[in-house]
Amino acid sequence: MKAFVTRRKRPLAVLSVLGLVAVASVAASVSGAQARSNAGELKGAGSSFVAPLVGVWQQKYEASKGVKISYNPIGSGGGISAITNKTVDFGASDAPLSADQFNACNGCVQIPWALSATSVMYNLNGVKNNLHLTGPIIADIYLGKITNWNNARIKAVNPGVSLPDKDITPVYRSDSSGTSYNFTSYLNTVSRQWKSGIGNGTTVNWPKGVGARGSSGVSGVVSRTEGAIGYVDVAYALQNHLKFAAVQNRSKQWARPGLLGIKAASLADRKFSPTNALSIVNPPPGKKFRKAYPICTYTYVILRLQSNQASLLKPFVTWALTSGQADGPRLKFQPIPKYVRTKGLAAIKRVHS
Amino acid sequence: MAVASRTSSGPGALQRRGRIRPGDAVLYLVTLAAALSGVVLLALITREVIADAWPAMQKFGLGFLTTQAWGDNNKTLFGAKSFIFGTAVTSLGALLLATPISLAIALFLTELAPRWIRSVVAPLVELLAAIPSVVLGLWGILVLGPFITGTLGPALHGTFGWLPIFSSKPSVGSNMFAAILILTIMIIPIVSSICRELFLGVPSELKDGALALGATRWEVVRGVVFPYARAGIAAALILGLGRAVGEAIAVTQVIGNNVAIHADLFKPGDTLASRIAGQYQGADTALQVASLVYLAVILLVFSLIANLAAQLIVRRVAGRHQMR
Repeated sequence: MKAFVTRRKRPLAVLSVLGLVAVASVAASVSGAQARSNAGELKGAGSSFVAPLVGVWQQKYEASKGVKISYNPIGSGGGISAITNKTVDFGASDAPLSADQFNACNGCVQIPWALSATSVMYNLNGVKNNLHLTGPIIADIYLGKITNWNNARIKAVNPGVSLPDKDITPVYRSDSSGTSYNFTSYLNTVSRQWKSGIGNGTTVNWPKGVGARGSSGVSGVVSRTEGAIGYVDVAYALQNHLKFAAVQNRSKQWARPGLLGIKAASLADRKFSPTNALSIVNPPPGKKFRKAYPICTYTYVILRLQSNQASLLKPFVTWALTSGQADGPRLKFQPIPKYVRTKGLAAIKRVHS
Repeated sequence: MAVASRTSSGPGALQRRGRIRPGDAVLYLVTLAAALSGVVLLALITREVIADAWPAMQKFGLGFLTTQAWGDNNKTLFGAKSFIFGTAVTSLGALLLATPISLAIALFLTELAPRWIRSVVAPLVELLAAIPSVVLGLWGILVLGPFITGTLGPALHGTFGWLPIFSSKPSVGSNMFAAILILTIMIIPIVSSICRELFLGVPSELKDGALALGATRWEVVRGVVFPYARAGIAAALILGLGRAVGEAIAVTQVIGNNVAIHADLFKPGDTLASRIAGQYQGADTALQVASLVYLAVILLVFSLIANLAAQLIVRRVAGRHQMR
């Protein structure tokens, strides 16, 4: 009996040794794989807004330079967390880093690398595309002061459009989002009550409406809710055939979030903040900004100044700021203006290994 | 107690046999390490969570629990009140709906269904648990939401409109009620499959005896099956509750994420886990991060209380009923 028991025990010991060997070899092969991929792979994560453009860049860059770019569109907030925790080689965010985020990132630089707009979409059966909305109307809808589509102020700017007697359901992003930052920054400029009571940010305490997760969540809820209004990057709205508003700019023109409107708005801020941020929402009145769409934003790539991948990273971001811009227009990304590119290229030079 | 005495007898037993056999020693060490790693991990997580939440705990104290705010006063004021409310309402609501359904499923599959139905339905119910929560959430937005605004909501409001919980017609599919339904779907497979195992464990002599005394099926269920499995059912329900309290992604997709307290279930709200999942990544300020982790501390305490309650219930019920 005793002999039997010991014999029974031995396979267990053998198994556990085998198990250890297996674990060790898997670990070895994983680290080996990592070592290999370090020869030619860059990892990035963040903004879903810029994801369609990065998707095109991935293919082109790998085809021409042989460097694989992997990009995970987990949202701007996720991108900032990822680069702060050093789990990626570059992060991407539509909102510039806040002061706390910049300190937490500790040795990061952000570079504006793409330019697009946030569209205000709505779900109203039988109402045409490009309904007219002004900034104050949008702000008061999200403040809960305008609650029905047949409100006199909405009617006044849409002569000839028959607006239904329908409750308005404002929909917003519940996760930390650069699109929210862009949208709330705009509301800050058009409504004093918004600015003093709510403010701008990637997340704010929305006084009215419902939240949804991600661009897909917001457009999902809007498309399934008659009377809903929401905001999403213009490429997403176009891809999903959503109706979006023409918004009145400060030159009293009705502007759509097209390339023309974005291009006009792109020159609204020529002074970089100390962290390279630019704000181009709601450009002032004037001939130069006559066609400007008021809810536009630069979107940023965030790099660590000290990066082991610097030798791969610098050429890639340089390429994105130059040749890569040509891929923008068909995805509704306006190529960045020259002074922004110059600033970006100078910033890239500071990255080292 | 029992666990402690068993482990302390381990090495003693090895030595008493005269020689240490390598197989036993390895087994002992491996299992000991596994058991300890669980404890150490819990301690480390708790320490880390409290350390990260500390700035918010210092600033807001216990007032955090009774403050309804999120980023108010220029991003300086945070509070958990509405999330605690949302978590309690959605998880208890889901438990209320899931309990009778789960028990009915388990009873049908163990006591009433023909064998071929049993073998088809049982795995399918369990498969429900395999649906990723993000997919369930998406289904909640695209299918369940419109169903609530179009059909279910108006019907419930029309019939039970005098109840405060159905006092308005839903204008959008993202609301507390949608979250309750999603959570119900998520906990049914857990509770029903545990209950099924429990009911299968009821000795057939007891049931046959009751039947022989002239009891009906229902009397057997009420008099034999339920009392026998009572402690287990309680534990299963607590497990389900734990799942409901902790679920983040599916809830955050359908609940409407609003900082508000409404008795009306057709209004949006938010839960602790949903708020953490939604905003932890990329929070604007350090204070917001700390406040989110403070929510996690509350969630941790919630689960601790639930687990202790479960143990207490199981012990009391088992004590009263000497069958287990």
